[in-house]
Amino acid sequence: MSVGPVTRAERAAALRAFLRTIQKPGLPVEGLAEDAGLVTSGLIDSLAILEIVSWLEERFGVDFARLGLDPGELGSIGSILDLIERESA
Amino acid sequence: MSGGTGGGMRLRALVQFHEDPALLSWWTARVAPVVAWLDAPRRRLLLGLAALAFAVERIDDRSEGPAWAVWLAAPILLGLCWGVWRAANEMRRLPSMVRSRPQVFLHALLALGFVAYWSTSAGPARRVLEPIVPMLPFVVWRLGFLLKTGQRGKLVGTRLTDHLVYLFPAWGGTNTPYGKGLDYLAGVEARTPEAFARSQLAGVRLLLLSLVWRGVIEVMAAAVYADPESRLTRHLGSWTLGVPRLPDLVQHPGSAPLGVVWVSLYLELVWVTLRLAAKGHVIIGVLRLLGFNAFRNTYKPLLAESVVEFWNRYYYYFKELLAEFFFFPTFVRRFRHHPRLRIAASTFAAAFVGNMYYHTIEQPAFLNGSVAGTWAVMHSRLLYCLLLTCGITVSMLREQRRRGGPAALAGGPARRLRRIAGVWTFFALIHVWAIPGRVPDIFGRTRFFLSLFGW
Repeated sequence: MSVGPVTRAERAAALRAFLRTIQKPGLPVEGLAEDAGLVTSGLIDSLAILEIVSWLEERFGVDFARLGLDPGELGSIGSILDLIERESA
Repeated sequence: MSGGTGGGMRLRALVQFHEDPALLSWWTARVAPVVAWLDAPRRRLLLGLAALAFAVERIDDRSEGPAWAVWLAAPILLGLCWGVWRAANEMRRLPSMVRSRPQVFLHALLALGFVAYWSTSAGPARRVLEPIVPMLPFVVWRLGFLLKTGQRGKLVGTRLTDHLVYLFPAWGGTNTPYGKGLDYLAGVEARTPEAFARSQLAGVRLLLLSLVWRGVIEVMAAAVYADPESRLTRHLGSWTLGVPRLPDLVQHPGSAPLGVVWVSLYLELVWVTLRLAAKGHVIIGVLRLLGFNAFRNTYKPLLAESVVEFWNRYYYYFKELLAEFFFFPTFVRRFRHHPRLRIAASTFAAAFVGNMYYHTIEQPAFLNGSVAGTWAVMHSRLLYCLLLTCGITVSMLREQRRRGGPAALAGGPARRLRRIAGVWTFFALIHVWAIPGRVPDIFGRTRFFLSLFGW
């Protein structure tokens, strides 16, 4: 049985690795602050939020059908990590 | 060379005057005492109280009934808002059926209002409902945002006046909530003198831009369309192109050479976009003056290089409405394990179902309970929405495939121009079925469309 990332740092690393696969070229994910807006910083476009949703469903079992989708909660690395922590608790 | 660069920089500085540090600093010093007194809670309270006056004004605008009915409608509508606010506050205590689908219940309530109106043909009940019913399409989407805030657990610490701010907005708007709900507004609300000054300067810039677009519209009306109602047309005399407007050409096919028809088709897209931008810039400009640095409604859609990019930039707050109430709910509930179908179904829910629903419930024929009248006005839009859905779905899937790769949309100016031309062509063509009015019907519009290709 595979064990997923459990600490915030591990989750952050996994999230940054995923963001690299959907980001626009030219902006380093590593340099992005946790509270920086993913769309407003130009790292991803607004449609990429949907891919983050699919990734969170598959990787962390986040149930958006129950939660509802609040784009504000997916706006930055920090807010996504908070969401994962809340749903994993 | 250096003179040209210097000129370019000066022009850029002039156009981007709202970002000039010296101006920002000067204006921050001017507004600081105002902001110190008019902090965010006080600002919301004043805007919430002003909303009461705006509620009466808006009801009066849409009503042809007697004054007493208008004055009675205001407390009834405010009572409805209060009821929804209470429900949103007590979301956890609502029956699970309502809690899991609050938007459906809100729209069921709306349907009840319509049915009650259609069931009364005369008498005091009709008089009371007359000014209320035309307001329902205005408040229902705003109440939807209020319920969403409740669902997200973000109502804690807010008052009813905080929500009246956007339920009856002082900055104006249409049935589409420019500025969405409190979730969004709170995120863009200025809380420091500098943020307030920045918001106001951005607002002034948007208002000036609106004036520019209005000027361009005036010139276009006279120089291109030879609009007899434009004063400028008289001054231009015979110096006008006299291109017929697209709605006229669709009504009278064959009245102009094919080349002129194509020119008119593209010009209509520019015309409609400029008018939407000019109107939206005033609304968002005022919102920014009030200290909410909201995203503008129209942002360079004519430079978009994909269909979905145009759709995001053309009418932002309508797109957001469709995304919040139709796209996202479908996306999280349906076809989770079929990514392409998931995108297609969600886009269909938004661009077809949501788009049709939004426009249907605001039609005067619908409000008057006329099925035939509603069908006559709306049936052509069915094809428009279907084509729009297909275009956005294909575009989204293409964008998704490209994402993460090397700069997929790169290329020289010629490739860029080709992509922009493709987007123009798509939206100009499908607009044939979105031109307001009953005539011609869907078959007449389709015949016109085919005639563009010589069929």
